[in-house]
Amino acid sequence: MTRKRRTASRALSYGLLAVAVAVVVFPLIWMLGTAVKPNGQILDLRASLWPSQFEWGNIVRAWNSAPFARWYLNSVIFSVSATLGQITSGLLAGYAFAMFEFRAKRLLFYLLLCGLMVPFTTVIVPVVQLLADFHWLNSYQGLILPNIAFALGAFLFRQFFFGVPLELGEAARVDGASEWRVFYRVYVPLARPVIAALGIIAFLMNWNNFLFPLIVVNTTSMEVVSQGLSVFQTQFSTNYDLIMSAALIAIVPILLVAIAAQRQIIEGISLGAIQ
Amino acid sequence: MPATSRWLRPATRPAPSGRVRRPRALPYAFVAPAVGLTVLFSLVPLGMLAYRSLYGGGNNVFATHPAFVGLQNYRDALAQGGAHALEVTAIYTIGFILLTMGLGLGVALLLDLKLPGIDRLRAPFIIPLVVPTVATALIWANLFAPQFGLVNRVLSYLGLPQADFTSSPSLALVMVLTFGVWQFFGENVILYLAALKTLPVDLLEAAGVDGAGAWRRFRHIRWPLLRRATIVISVITTLTGLQTFTQIYVLTGGGPNGATTPIVYYIFSTGFQQFNTGYADAMAVVLFLISLVITVAQVSLIGRGARRDA
Repeated sequence: MTRKRRTASRALSYGLLAVAVAVVVFPLIWMLGTAVKPNGQILDLRASLWPSQFEWGNIVRAWNSAPFARWYLNSVIFSVSATLGQITSGLLAGYAFAMFEFRAKRLLFYLLLCGLMVPFTTVIVPVVQLLADFHWLNSYQGLILPNIAFALGAFLFRQFFFGVPLELGEAARVDGASEWRVFYRVYVPLARPVIAALGIIAFLMNWNNFLFPLIVVNTTSMEVVSQGLSVFQTQFSTNYDLIMSAALIAIVPILLVAIAAQRQIIEGISLGAIQ
Repeated sequence: MPATSRWLRPATRPAPSGRVRRPRALPYAFVAPAVGLTVLFSLVPLGMLAYRSLYGGGNNVFATHPAFVGLQNYRDALAQGGAHALEVTAIYTIGFILLTMGLGLGVALLLDLKLPGIDRLRAPFIIPLVVPTVATALIWANLFAPQFGLVNRVLSYLGLPQADFTSSPSLALVMVLTFGVWQFFGENVILYLAALKTLPVDLLEAAGVDGAGAWRRFRHIRWPLLRRATIVISVITTLTGLQTFTQIYVLTGGGPNGATTPIVYYIFSTGFQQFNTGYADAMAVVLFLISLVITVAQVSLIGRGARRDA
């Protein structure tokens, strides 16, 4: 290839990538622009697309128009507890299936395998009926516990523990460590990278889960951010500045979390493909 | 036999000391939370679903002694929007697979080039995946809004007629598909990029020296090597497409006239809005079977490929 052609193909590659990145990022910039525009300018077809004056007060008005603080609290309680539960139960089960021999191992493992075959969206109606029978609708435990059934996590941790050396545990056992201690002090620290990657993916899945809170919770004080936002939209249907400000309130904090954890997120997405 | 071999996995070395206790109950305690919750919130509901879909008719949630009705719920559900929902799901999912996988592979190939600074361009593609769908769907609702939405502003600037994305069935489908592709193609970028990074670089470079052009190099070397990855990614993408719900709720509410009602939205609206839980149960069984067939097909495809490649 001549140098000229190589330069041209490089420029083309960068150009195409720049277009792709722009398509991905553009809606967020549009959101910011619309959020801080006076509503009159949004509805005025002759006004420029980018706001000529920035009304940052729109964001404050949106925050004060709905109980966002409460919704954020609920999202944090739900997502953090569900994620901790998923990672803990996945670690325990993955470790036991990889390390121990026990009588019902195959049966229990097949049950977990079957669980992996059932998409959660298929069982929403009976799950809500169960939660209603337990009187767990509109409660944190109703939101959290059904989400802890996370068979994929158990599988990935099982794969991980198949690959770790057994000698480490043996050495600790010789020193008189209990099985719990061997698990907790020797093997869990080894799994830290997997815990981080899977944990952040699970956290984001829980945080962005919309359907499940929608069917389990129906009082304003129990709603999570996504759900509150969808109600907000119906209440302020033509106040586009407020709706985009509310979307911004919902997006920015989680975006900052994602930027901080981008390496683990990319790792976690790739992990999901290794089933 | 060493004392530990009865409860540690067989590959273990003999324990040098006989002092290790045999915790018979411990493995069960370890697996209990994961297995117990999976049984309670996945397998038991699946059984309830299968049973209930055959009993008590459309409003079986209110029936105190539901009678056996056979496949009546399935027939009624299919006749009353269920078949249409399957059709919408198929159209949506096929478009979703082709577009997200095509764009995902294209961008991944570009990101795999050894160019300065290219690693930094990877992160933006995960943004739509990680921020709340409700919020991003609201942004797209604004972009597609009548008159002052960006799309219609551009159309009128070009002198074209206005497009009403919520009242035209085909445009509504275009809108939800556009959003779905925007939201998810980044996942396939990451997955394809991970697969590309595992390919033998020497082989590719040898082909480059031989003067094979970029397209031929891709077509004859990378594409065959990406076969397994393509199968895995297509299954993940299909399952994601089948689950489509949130943007439908925000953007169209399933309308106009069910034109954007895929199967999960159908289950939600019949089950939780119209309380025709019998129909929701029947269609949920159908969704489960479709997902099962796709997962099993993946396993057998990969198995066959592995045998052939061996």
